[in-house]
Amino acid sequence: MDFLLDLVDADMLRTTLVVATPLLLAALGELLLERVGLLNLAIEGMVGVGAAMGFCVVFVAGRTVPTVLLAIAAAALSAILIGVVFGWLTLHLQANQITVGLALLILGLGASSLLYRGVVGVTTTPPSIGTLPLWRIPGLSEIPYLGRVLFQHDLFVYVGLSTLLPVWWVLHRTPLGLRLRAVGESPKAVDALGLPLARLRWSALVAGCALIGIAGSFFPLSLVGGYSDDIASGRGWLALMLVIFGRWRPWTIAAGALLFAYVEALQFQFGVTSKAIPPQFLRMLPYVLAIIVLVRVYGRAQAPAALTKPYDRESRF
Amino acid sequence: MAEPARAGDVAVEMAGIAKSFGDVHALDDVTFRVAPGEVHGLLGENGAGKTTLMNVLTGLYLADRGDVALHGQHVDLRTPSDAVGHGVGMVHQHFELVQAFSALENILLGAVTATWSMDTASHRERIADLADHYGFTVDLDTRVADMEVGDQQKVEILRILYAGADILVLDEPTTHLTPAEVDHLFASVRELAAEGLAVVLIAHKLHEVFAVCDRVTVLRHGRLAGSLDVAAAAHADVVAMMMGDDATMVEARAKTCDIGEDEVLSLRGVTATGGAVDVHLHDLDLQVHRGEFVGIAGVAGNGQRELMELLAGLRPITTGRMHASGVDVTHARVDERIRAGVAVLPGDRMREGVLPASPLYETYALGRHLLHDHFSPHDLQDQARDMIARFDVRTSGPTAPTASLSGGNIQKVLVARALDVSEHAGGGAMVVMNPTSGLDVGAAAFVHDQLVRTCEAGGGVLLISEDLDELLALCDRVVVLSHGRLAGQQVAGDYDRLVLGDLMVAAHG
Amino acid sequence: MLGLVVALVVNALLLAALGANPVTAYSTILSAALGSVAGLAQTLNRTTPLLLGASAVAFAMRAGYVNLGIDGQIYAGAILATGVAFLLDGWPAVVLLPVVLLAGLVGGGLLASIPAWLRATRGINELFVTVMLNFVALFLAEYLATGPWTDPVAGEAITVPISAAADLPRLLPGGGHAGILLALPVAVGLSLWLARTRSGFEFRAAGSNPLAAGFGGVRLVRIGVVALVVAGALGGLAGAIEVTGVHSRLLTGLTPNFGYMAVLIAVLARRSPVATIPVAFAFAVLIVGADSLQRSVGLPPSAVLLFQAVVVVSILAFETARGRRLVARLVQATRRSPGRRRAGGVA
Repeated sequence: MDFLLDLVDADMLRTTLVVATPLLLAALGELLLERVGLLNLAIEGMVGVGAAMGFCVVFVAGRTVPTVLLAIAAAALSAILIGVVFGWLTLHLQANQITVGLALLILGLGASSLLYRGVVGVTTTPPSIGTLPLWRIPGLSEIPYLGRVLFQHDLFVYVGLSTLLPVWWVLHRTPLGLRLRAVGESPKAVDALGLPLARLRWSALVAGCALIGIAGSFFPLSLVGGYSDDIASGRGWLALMLVIFGRWRPWTIAAGALLFAYVEALQFQFGVTSKAIPPQFLRMLPYVLAIIVLVRVYGRAQAPAALTKPYDRESRF
Repeated sequence: MAEPARAGDVAVEMAGIAKSFGDVHALDDVTFRVAPGEVHGLLGENGAGKTTLMNVLTGLYLADRGDVALHGQHVDLRTPSDAVGHGVGMVHQHFELVQAFSALENILLGAVTATWSMDTASHRERIADLADHYGFTVDLDTRVADMEVGDQQKVEILRILYAGADILVLDEPTTHLTPAEVDHLFASVRELAAEGLAVVLIAHKLHEVFAVCDRVTVLRHGRLAGSLDVAAAAHADVVAMMMGDDATMVEARAKTCDIGEDEVLSLRGVTATGGAVDVHLHDLDLQVHRGEFVGIAGVAGNGQRELMELLAGLRPITTGRMHASGVDVTHARVDERIRAGVAVLPGDRMREGVLPASPLYETYALGRHLLHDHFSPHDLQDQARDMIARFDVRTSGPTAPTASLSGGNIQKVLVARALDVSEHAGGGAMVVMNPTSGLDVGAAAFVHDQLVRTCEAGGGVLLISEDLDELLALCDRVVVLSHGRLAGQQVAGDYDRLVLGDLMVAAHG
Repeated sequence: MLGLVVALVVNALLLAALGANPVTAYSTILSAALGSVAGLAQTLNRTTPLLLGASAVAFAMRAGYVNLGIDGQIYAGAILATGVAFLLDGWPAVVLLPVVLLAGLVGGGLLASIPAWLRATRGINELFVTVMLNFVALFLAEYLATGPWTDPVAGEAITVPISAAADLPRLLPGGGHAGILLALPVAVGLSLWLARTRSGFEFRAAGSNPLAAGFGGVRLVRIGVVALVVAGALGGLAGAIEVTGVHSRLLTGLTPNFGYMAVLIAVLARRSPVATIPVAFAFAVLIVGADSLQRSVGLPPSAVLLFQAVVVVSILAFETARGRRLVARLVQATRRSPGRRRAGGVA
């Protein structure tokens, strides 16, 4: 019975929400890109750069409210920078999205590591910037159990999780979203209607990359308080899988983020309470789950029809 | 919708339009005028420049020379949005609808200019009114991908009207419609014209022009052949304009061979019900004999693709048997059928036929590579060189990239490839789908010659085509495919277009 | 070519921005990687997994499959190779070494058979599955290196050493092992097979246009399985070579992103296995050279990732049609501008 109680432990559910935040942010960012037909395999690298940038700004400028905001903005900008290269190569030069994505993934991994070493130098013990203070919502956080799970987080978690609402609203409730989704389905139709194809793609690209970069800054600022080269450890890739899992819809992606985060939180829980299962097997779980999800969802999933396909108006084929 | 027509007003005035693709002159000094309230037919053979002219009008192509004026105002149509902004809307042959969107979403996509908010309910109401008014009733919440072709067309027209177009271009709108749907569409088109819209109807069927148009403009080889009032014109005048000097009536080809007893291809009670979204094939009984030329007629989407895939071996046979030259190939793979002499020339040559980035000799080798025990790239090159000389393929040589060839030359290579497979089996079965679509007259004649020769050499040909003229000119026998079933047949000498037409659109029961 | 020049310039600027003299840095890289026998030995050691991985990726790409799982396959091959070496401890080298290398092939092939099977039966994109399996294999290796096979003295994720009889023969002083002698024939052989054989032709046809290949009697499903499993097996062989040639044991950190690099190399080599030989060698020079930069200029080893990515991005950019046109315009502009300057001088 203890085992079952562990599964709904308040601390673990609380951890679930924390871990879900960067997954959700990155997945929503990737969703915006994929909805306009861009498959961004560089996402893991963008998350890494966001993490390094977020850490370095606070490390240099100290941890105050403006510097943390600056750090988040810098993280977003650095991911956007990579996104601009991605967009220039794939949209303007019409290079293959998969190869460009992989090259920029490597670029991101290298750049984040280099940035950290450049700012911090070589140290024996990695420096810490501390994590953001928790903000207990007055009243609500006093509610037994639920208060612990839902209302004792830092601001990053609250804001990060609620990003779901504007992304969903823009994509599915506004004319802009209608156009963005149409771009990913049929750029030809959008072009024939005389809608600004390039501007739609670029705006989704920039917004999406910003979210991915911000997701990266979450790790040093809110979760770890430090930086290491494997800080993202595949979370970018998991976010990519979440978009498929969520069948390119914000709410199902959010549900997926919670599920994956819960699986990850299990590790922390069982890592403490149980020695029976080696921690490495628990850490494998999200990735095994991702493969299983792929098998269950893939055939029925409705990917944007124009995903990864270049578009050239005068092409006669 | 539009302003009422004023006398002497001109909705569209295109003057001296020229457009080239490489060294092909698609349009040369073409003049084209349409008045408001007029249904204007645009006629010409395949490749005459009809669609290119309209692509200039809709901003998709930039003309090399010439002027466009709309409602008397000179306009510069550099992009599709320029054209849309001037009230020009085009219904393309392949509808430019977002398949994953509902009808409503598609219509809103073209009409709503705001960024952040829209009043979906009031839009829905106005769209429904518009649809009722012109008889374009569709379920606004159905996904376009789930709609019949006729309904998709209604959505496309509604979208253009709702976006405020007063110049409507319809590109061969009747191709995939049943006769009843065609009547319905024409009634709606007359209604639109009566309210002052200018409608351009790109057509290749003469009787349609006479059924619905006020005026007709004829293009031939990218040039203006003439423009007439339909009421004052005779069929023969328009035909003469279309055909020019090379006017030859469709005439059955004289074959110099007899139909043999042996079957090169036979289906007995074949049913294929695999795949959830495609047309299922039922109870097919079909034999092609040595020296016989059999045609499959039908409206596109009635199982032609599926039949071709089934014969090639890409679609499993659920029940029934298939034989090729006496060998049971019911469950044979594609490679085994190729060795048995089943040569398939797929309908979409660029997507299904060629290796675009590979050298020409590799495209020519595909499928044929299974026929010889010894595999040698050197031999394949030599064979391609022979083929290039024999069929007069215009290319720099066997190692030229396949994609560098023109459509007609690519089709020559693919025909030669299928011939070789058929000949290797000592006269096998050629299965050919829409082999001349998009080809110029010379290339089409070449393809037809080769098919006839295959029959004469003792093979059998099964021609699956949407072009009834082509079928009637070539085939010994035409079988109609409708809703995945063979609905009936006619034999050369007794061909009656009306009877065949009825079979093509008859509901199965 | 022009892409390479641009890449070198951008990298020079990067180096300068990091406070290093680009000329010194470039010459340091070259002399460290090629200037001594020991340096060359290191370079060839790095070339081996890159070459095996890249030719495997290129091979699968020719059939139209993207194998992002070389890293995982390296671990899988290393795990099985190490396990077999432990199991057959005491066997003579003549038997043990081939069996251990074979185990590496099998390990990589087994891991790759998962995406191959999912692709063949369910049509699931192998790209995502291979990436996910990278993490699974990494954690499995970490478990073995910290759990059942761990070297208790080491205090990190590292196993006890395998039998010395399973060590690859040395080729060069300074630790240069014979792995390159396996990798080179693999790359050449794959290219020959693709170009000269019927199956190779079918492979390339499937990659060029699967629809047309299907009509041409090419058995696409079988080709997909072969492409992925063979590529995985070669990744596994690279893992076994790392174990028997470099570390003599299993450890985490066996592959510093060799798998992603292999993909970049394959792309630069235009998916030709034999053409990956010079590219993999060049990447290895960069890696070894950058290691020495760390000592002399204080650059972190990960900087090499950035340099490689810059090279690849530049070349990708200038390989596209529009990229080439852009270059042509730039060249024209630079040709014209000195002319104008001269004209101005006369006036």
